[in-house]
Amino acid sequence: MHIAEGFLPPLHAAAWTVVALPFVIAGARRANRLMQDQPQTKLLLAASGAFAFVLSALKLPSVTGSCSHATGAGLGAILFGPSVMALLGTVVLLFQALLLAHGGLTTLGANVFSLAIVGPWVAYGLLRGTQRLHAPLAVSVFLAAMLGDMATYTVTACQLALAFPDPASGIAGSFIKFISVFAPTQLPLAMIEGLLTVVIVNLLRQYSQDELRDLQTFSRWPAVEAPS
Amino acid sequence: MQAIDHHAWTNRWRDWHPLEKLLPALTLLVLTLALPLLSIGPLVLAATVLATVRGAGVPLQTVLSVLAAPAAFLLAGIPFLAISLSFTAGFSLHFSPDGLLLALETSVRALAAASCLTFLILTTPLTDLVPLLRRVGIPAGIVELILLIYRLIFVFTERALTGRQAQAARLGYSGIQRGVRSAGWLAGALFQRALEQARRLEIGLAARGYCGELRVLTPERPLSWPRLTIVMAFVILIGVMGGLLAGGWR
Repeated sequence: MHIAEGFLPPLHAAAWTVVALPFVIAGARRANRLMQDQPQTKLLLAASGAFAFVLSALKLPSVTGSCSHATGAGLGAILFGPSVMALLGTVVLLFQALLLAHGGLTTLGANVFSLAIVGPWVAYGLLRGTQRLHAPLAVSVFLAAMLGDMATYTVTACQLALAFPDPASGIAGSFIKFISVFAPTQLPLAMIEGLLTVVIVNLLRQYSQDELRDLQTFSRWPAVEAPS
Repeated sequence: MQAIDHHAWTNRWRDWHPLEKLLPALTLLVLTLALPLLSIGPLVLAATVLATVRGAGVPLQTVLSVLAAPAAFLLAGIPFLAISLSFTAGFSLHFSPDGLLLALETSVRALAAASCLTFLILTTPLTDLVPLLRRVGIPAGIVELILLIYRLIFVFTERALTGRQAQAARLGYSGIQRGVRSAGWLAGALFQRALEQARRLEIGLAARGYCGELRVLTPERPLSWPRLTIVMAFVILIGVMGGLLAGGWR
């Protein structure tokens, strides 16, 4: 769920853009350097970005009957690493605004922060952390994708609460209001996305070791078997 | 997505220089955010819808269906602005008049802003807009990357839809468990195909002497100063009218 164009007051929209900018610039710098070192990286990145867009438009099997979409933040972070994902996520969100009218230009910063920065970093951190504890890969991937998804929605609720504090109970009350709207719809969705990500990662591990090795340029990927 | 892209490429204002559409759209967007809402909002909404339908010749139905996405978001979020939650005396929900005004303002602002975005995306293809990013200092490599992604999105979407249809025809989405597995397989297969496509593109380009720069011919479209002046005059008129109305409001 992206914050729609013009929904945030101007000051908030500007502030979130400023917060998101350094992450995106760092991702863009890194991608640009990779592309200059190896021209073919550009095509790999382009295919990954287009895949992320299609993935985010993929309809999930719905539980509640509502039409629901994956965020793809978890899988993106697992495959490409969070710093490149900040750039790809920004491009995907820009395209969603310009091709689908989902989200918007003024709220791009806020959406980038929740979907392309916090979600992927949480997912990546969890993946790394649980792997260090020697959890089974499926468990780490599930937790990373699910909690990454939930982190995204918690941040969105925070952003909305900060922008529209409740007249009686302030920001805290407003946060409770928004999170209670998200929770019943997003909790099952986050679990489904977690399961979905496990299915995808299992499939890729079984059949696409070569492709996963290509992605090592972006981020060290724990699921690749060490070349013997 | 297909509908928006189709109209962006075929509307009557397609051949205008992109700046002639981007500049008024962004100015209106800023005006919407900056001026008192209840006066400027409806003006902006009316002006952009009129420009898209009458000027660029995009059917009204398409414009409304594009505006429906943000409107759905508003419907979900607005009621919660008007209802107030307090924990001073236990836990109570009550209706607040301040919240109602805030809700009204927010919906007007969001709809007006969305109509500016709608005008822009229905009249200007992405391939015209993205090169303008170079002027704000985004490196050429990144701009090229964005254009490549745009191209590949349509290839992959078609594949995803075909794959999904094939799975659905084989009862792949009957039941949640099976649905999750099918969706996972679809996404995984799509990813494999995506990387395969990247590799094939790479070989094809390498055979043509690719060394990091994609050279394409862009049609030359001179910026028409008279047209830009007229359009911006209209935008300023809307801003002045909005300001005057707001003055009379008080």
